[in-house]
Amino acid sequence: MLVIALCKGRFLDPSLELLGRAGICFAEDVASSRRLIFDSKDGQYRVVLVKPADVPTYVEYGAADVGIAGRDVIMESRADLLEPMDLNFGHCRIVVAGKGGTAGTDSDSGEPVNSRVPGTASESLPPNLLRIATKYPRITMDYYTARGIPVEIIPLSGSIELAPLIGLADRIVDVVETGRTLKENGLEVLEVIASCSARLLINRAGYQTKRDEVLGLIGALEKAVQ
Amino acid sequence: MKTYTQIPPGTQILFGRAARRRRLLERAICSVFEGWSYEEIIPPIFDYYDVFAKGMGAGEEEHFYRFIDREGNILALRPEFTSLVAKTAATRLARSPKPIRLFYSGEVLRFEKPKGGRQREFAQIGIEHYGGAGKTADVEILLIAVEVFQRLGIQGFQINLGSVDFFGGIVDRIELPAGEITALKEVLNIKDQPGLEALLQKLPLDDRRKNILRAVPHLTGGKSVIAEARGLVKNSRSVEALDHLEYIHSIFEKLDLAQHLTIDLGEIRGFDYYTGIYFRAYVRGLGFEVASGGRYDGLPGSFGEDLPAVGFSFSVDRLEQIATPSLDASEPKNSTVEVEQGFEKALQLRQAGKAVKLCL
Repeated sequence: MLVIALCKGRFLDPSLELLGRAGICFAEDVASSRRLIFDSKDGQYRVVLVKPADVPTYVEYGAADVGIAGRDVIMESRADLLEPMDLNFGHCRIVVAGKGGTAGTDSDSGEPVNSRVPGTASESLPPNLLRIATKYPRITMDYYTARGIPVEIIPLSGSIELAPLIGLADRIVDVVETGRTLKENGLEVLEVIASCSARLLINRAGYQTKRDEVLGLIGALEKAVQ
Repeated sequence: MKTYTQIPPGTQILFGRAARRRRLLERAICSVFEGWSYEEIIPPIFDYYDVFAKGMGAGEEEHFYRFIDREGNILALRPEFTSLVAKTAATRLARSPKPIRLFYSGEVLRFEKPKGGRQREFAQIGIEHYGGAGKTADVEILLIAVEVFQRLGIQGFQINLGSVDFFGGIVDRIELPAGEITALKEVLNIKDQPGLEALLQKLPLDDRRKNILRAVPHLTGGKSVIAEARGLVKNSRSVEALDHLEYIHSIFEKLDLAQHLTIDLGEIRGFDYYTGIYFRAYVRGLGFEVASGGRYDGLPGSFGEDLPAVGFSFSVDRLEQIATPSLDASEPKNSTVEVEQGFEKALQLRQAGKAVKLCL
């Protein structure tokens, strides 16, 4: 039996749909149940529901053999996994966003925006370091480290768009699907860090020791991906 | 002052059954090594930083526990044994008759995220074989690894065997800047199919090479993989690697062990370290490899004496997570005599070879 870790939340429905098209069906309605473990009708698969950020952990440790999660979550986790397949849903971009009209101001000097754009600075000047609010501190650090721009990362767990509006940060790093939330909050995409979509993750040891089952699943998913 | 109730993160304390099991495992594995005429080497717990920096290659030094001695030398707690043993073989043992067969067992320390039952301090047990080039030494260490699993009573084990020369021969023929080779290795390492396609679109490679690179991540399985790989490559380095793997596979077939051997040409982790065969051992149900090894002929040379070198190490902490039916770690009691009649009686019994427990 292969254990598949799925994300609770917005990824759950498309994940279940994809599994359904691949012939992996469940007797009960997984999405509306309160249970966290479900066996497929044919008894060959077990699905476990976990928080998106935890999917790579479950798979890396082998508690689940495979998982479905967004590339953003995988990059942030730095888990050592196999990522053989793009599942072609959950498309989004990880971007650097900031207030309108501030594009291109950080890569030349790394100076905080507020200290250079008259009229946007609050009474007291912000510290001499670009401050980035994000749910993705590692991706953010890697991105700016590669560019040699020193930054202060402010880890947040939600409503990231708020941070630049009330002076907590100069920029945010976040995932964007349509860009509507950014726009409604007066923010715009300044740089794109990476394009993301849902990926199939596989535990390295499980890929070797449960090879036939894993390849069977990959084969079925390849046919089912639209 | 921090409370004394907790131990520092990444360390562990074993006692009772866990400690008995650890020692039983170590003894059982060492007895296999001794059965193949390997001699124990007990290296120091720390050595000069440069020994490990040289031995483990770039990028690993961030995991060392470093410190400075009173003369100002930079030292490191041993993060592994192979560098230490290679240094000894290339210096103090340089004039010994070859091959040199050594085994080691003990704790190593790496400052990294505890993962898969492996803490920052963890136990390694393994062998090093110096001075034996080519097939025979390779087969010897593989057979020893197999016997370790058998001795512990582990059934569902699998050894994934590959050779850096197969992929190395392919890369030799690809004329790309180092950065793009690194990017290629990164996507192949995680078998990232869409990532590979996106890269291949950009790279100025002919279709034949692109198809080879597309096939590499899937070259894993039984003997047929070797034939499949032969259909892809013509360069002599890759072909010789395939001949070598085929030879090893044929020996395993003759010995009726082929069911434990998987030919794996799709794995390219650790390639900066190994120079010939490499392998990783897995046990069904455990999410991490339990052993890894291979050939690193360049290593003793970096300590001053060119010697072919091949070896492996088992992660004891991970082996402890697997049922080992042939080891009994239950409390020894049957043979213990309870002594209530004084120290004199206890000594008599001890001299007679009995285990005693004083109840005075």
